[in-house]
Amino acid sequence: MLRNYLKIAIRNLRKQRGFTFINIFGLATGLACCLLILLYVVDELSFDRFHEKADRIYRINTDIKFGGNDMHMAVSPDPMGPTLLKDYPQVENFVRLHGRGTFLVKQTGQTNNLRENDIMYADSTLFDVFTLPLVVGNPKRALVEPNTVVISESAAKRHFGNENPLGKTLLFDNAFTYRVTGVMRDMPTNAHFRTDFFVCMRSDNYEWGRWLSNNHQTYILLKKGVDAQRFSQNFETVIQKYVGPQAQEFVGATIDQLRQSGNRFEYSLIPMTDIHLHSKQNIELAPNSDIQYVYTFSAVAVFILLIACINFMNLSTARSANRAKEVGVRKVLGSVQRQLIGQFMTESVLMAILAMLLALVIVALTLPFFNDISSKQLTIDQLFIPQFLPVLLVLPLGVGLLAGSYPAFFLSSFRPISVLKGKINLGLKSAGLRSGLVVFQFMMSVILIVGTMVVYRQINFIQTKKVGFNRNQVLTINEAYALGEQTQTFKDEVRKLPGVTNGSVSGYLPVPSNRSDSPLFPEGQREQSKAVSTQQWGVDYDYIPTLGMELKEGRNFSREFGADSTGIILNETAVKVFGFKDPIGKRVWRMLDDEGKVFKTYTVIGVVKNFHFESLRQNIGSVALMMDPNQGAVSFRLNSHDIPALVKQIEAKWKQMAPGMPFSYSFLDDSFDAMYRAEQRVGQIVLTFSVLAILIACLGLFGLAAFMAEQRTKEIGVRKVLGATTASIVGLLSKDFLRLVLIAILIATPIAWYGMNAWLKDFAYKIDVPWWVFVLAGTVAVFIAFVTVSFQSIKAALMNPVKSLRSE
Amino acid sequence: MISLQNVSKYYPAGFGKTYVLRNITLDINEGEFVSIMGPSGSGKSTLLHILGMLEEPSEGEYLFFDQPVQKLSEKRRTELHRNYIGFVFQAYHLIDELTVYENIETPLLYKGMSSSERKSRVAELLDRFNMVAKKDLFPSQLSGGQQQLVGIARAVASQPKVIFADEPTGNLHSDHAKEIMDLFKKLNKEDGVTIVQVTHSEVNAEYGNRILRLKDGWLESFQVPTLERE
Ligand SMILES: Nc1ncnc2c1ncn2[C@@H]1O[C@H](COP(=O)(O)OP(=O)(O)OP(=O)(O)O)[C@@H](O)[C@H]1O
Ligand SMILES: [Mg+2]
Repeated sequence: MLRNYLKIAIRNLRKQRGFTFINIFGLATGLACCLLILLYVVDELSFDRFHEKADRIYRINTDIKFGGNDMHMAVSPDPMGPTLLKDYPQVENFVRLHGRGTFLVKQTGQTNNLRENDIMYADSTLFDVFTLPLVVGNPKRALVEPNTVVISESAAKRHFGNENPLGKTLLFDNAFTYRVTGVMRDMPTNAHFRTDFFVCMRSDNYEWGRWLSNNHQTYILLKKGVDAQRFSQNFETVIQKYVGPQAQEFVGATIDQLRQSGNRFEYSLIPMTDIHLHSKQNIELAPNSDIQYVYTFSAVAVFILLIACINFMNLSTARSANRAKEVGVRKVLGSVQRQLIGQFMTESVLMAILAMLLALVIVALTLPFFNDISSKQLTIDQLFIPQFLPVLLVLPLGVGLLAGSYPAFFLSSFRPISVLKGKINLGLKSAGLRSGLVVFQFMMSVILIVGTMVVYRQINFIQTKKVGFNRNQVLTINEAYALGEQTQTFKDEVRKLPGVTNGSVSGYLPVPSNRSDSPLFPEGQREQSKAVSTQQWGVDYDYIPTLGMELKEGRNFSREFGADSTGIILNETAVKVFGFKDPIGKRVWRMLDDEGKVFKTYTVIGVVKNFHFESLRQNIGSVALMMDPNQGAVSFRLNSHDIPALVKQIEAKWKQMAPGMPFSYSFLDDSFDAMYRAEQRVGQIVLTFSVLAILIACLGLFGLAAFMAEQRTKEIGVRKVLGATTASIVGLLSKDFLRLVLIAILIATPIAWYGMNAWLKDFAYKIDVPWWVFVLAGTVAVFIAFVTVSFQSIKAALMNPVKSLRSE
Repeated sequence: MISLQNVSKYYPAGFGKTYVLRNITLDINEGEFVSIMGPSGSGKSTLLHILGMLEEPSEGEYLFFDQPVQKLSEKRRTELHRNYIGFVFQAYHLIDELTVYENIETPLLYKGMSSSERKSRVAELLDRFNMVAKKDLFPSQLSGGQQQLVGIARAVASQPKVIFADEPTGNLHSDHAKEIMDLFKKLNKEDGVTIVQVTHSEVNAEYGNRILRLKDGWLESFQVPTLERE
């Protein structure tokens, strides 16, 4: 029987090639989008799960409010790990990491340095806690001795070629020599941090044992069966027993006193597998993603799958009406309802399976492009793991059965004679359902169009928003510390080049980076409660003009005022927090020691307009600028039409003063854009998929319009014979569809409005959702629908009426 | 009124072509009632479609009210359909989605008639065809004969000069057929509408004043129009 069904199914599908193509292709595109997003989401959810003990590893987060400083950090005090291991039997092990950033690295004896990023210190327990298999070396001993380093296979290849690196030494920044004691497999891409170099923690000249400094990412491994939630209640004991005495010693107050005056000390555990999607702490080892994106993409995938399924159902149902006669005849010939249902189901499941196969081909072809926009390294074979097989099978079966069920049950339930007499117009009977589905489809398309436009406008807004300084054509030199003593000379030499209008040596640039707030106090008031938590940046005379910041009042640092070493420039936020009515000439204290006994007095000489230095998701915090020429960031303002040539000249100067060091630079606006790369990526992915969703919806509409036109050919023929014009027939056929699209727009508008406002809520600086977005989205939808439908209507209207009228 | 000069119609077939109509020369005057007869496949419907400007002849010339039809624009042809020509089909070809009333009204809509004019015209036709009680029914709720009555009412609604009917009684019982033929006769006599019908029945053919016989695409006999003989 099944063979018979299959034979008829294949014949039917072949007979209506155009329809079959539209149906299979539409569904395949939808399924392909879903598979891509599935790959993406599964990858996001798989972060850090490759560690065998992943479910028992937790990172310690620190939340401290101290002197107006509110800090949520991924780092904790250095004694935390060892203390927990010593005091609590629930803890099996711990490992600390300390990110050191970028180094220039070469094999000892070689001349050429390579830039290596994300180098970090690690405890020797690294390989006991994490699953990082060593290809060469003993994991028990690799990081025990100071000045040892474990490198990845690709780093080994870069620095040692095919030689065995074990026992050889690497020179870091021309200063530190580390011996290679192990080569580990490259870290997987789905880890919340990645590095090619783990340097033994004991190489660090750190003042160990400080409970008030937070500099180490600490991961603890709990014993099996330990409840992390309950375990974290022990942190209070740790605070009282260890943090308290040091606070007493350095700040002169007990923990309880500090807490009473509004300060906060809290530690908590976050499961390692939650870090990538849920952690929003400062000082992470690498930027994290956001569970929000996973939800957004999943929603888009569901949208697209729904749209594609609806197409499939719509077209199948529509077309089945054409087969009413066949059903009638079959019933008269003795077919029972069950057999008819079987036949329709076979047909649609067959189509769905073909669509799934085509979808896999599409995924294979588009994956490189998708990897590009999502900056992932997904491969198609990730789809063929056992967990996915049910999805690959159930999806087409489910879609096929669902799509086949309606025509199957609907048609097969008719009394054959009424069908044969042509008394029931099946095309019209199922029209209600189809209309509903078309409305639903277009509703989702409109929501997607609105969503895409709002996301794009918001990203655009962020990128063009006046950030408070002029970030065009500001060039910053990376690793300027390589210049050492030559820094000033280099700056002065470069400034002489034509096309360079200014240059500055400073501690910080207004881009996100690791830096923390420290307190300033109003003169004479050293109580913690009076502290104003402020970013304190050491700059030089030329900092403000180089970066194009604007002074609101007062003056910039000036050579005419000597060293100007007691002057300070505040930003508007800082002035507000201090509560200065007339800030110029006011004095503030800066704490020079940890105990709060030595203060230096500064006089406010100027107020700089607020500028953004962190993501626009955050509000602008307090900033204070002070003179400190001994700093590491060198930046230049350029004004040249031929930037590449100018950069070449700067590079030549660099080569003279920092021989052997790679010259590397970036433009400030690039660094700024990097902040929004995640948003841009999301925007791009959403855009791509909404275009696809709309295309799929149109494909369905196209097929449906073709079907409707076909159904009404007789009517069109009659009308033409009675004198109808082409235009009036196009109008007749398009009217119905346009009405549906209009209804869809009406329903979609409030949903999209609500959804987009929810999305924007997350941004400190955001656009309003403009009304015209809805008008535009509506117009686009109507336009697309009209073009799609009128193609079919015009075709139908131009047809020679005799063709349809003759055939009786 | 209608004049065909050496009209032929052929379809491409393989390397050659199959002639469906050959060298037809024919004149039909206003007020005539012409019956076209012939065996199945002889080209009757094709001839009628050419006369009704639904198909183009492959060769020859067709003058409708002295205008060469080949040269007419699409727009002008649509206009002729609206105002000069009515069609009646064997399979009725009513619009299933419209009621009896609306079916009859459709050509008047295309003609651009005002709503009150339409109302009175449709009412008049319903009355004349005894369909007042059925005006709100859909075609599927009517018998074949009743459907054909609606078809004819629709054809005459726009007061055409000529009605082309392709086997209008082909699907009907002879009683109904007689009714329809009487109606044609009446339209022809009282309203002066020219009628060209295709029929297989000699009885029905006799309603006309002239019979054209087609065989293999040739016009077989030529009877001198009775109008002129009288
Ligand atoms: N599109 C076409 N292509 C080729 N041949 C055609 C086409 N349309 C009609 N014919 C042929 O033209 C011939 C005449 O057809 P037509 O419909 O005019 O016959 P008829 O006399 O009306 O027959 P009947 O009495 O059965 O209605 C037939 O042999 C038919 O096969
Ligand atoms: Mg015929």
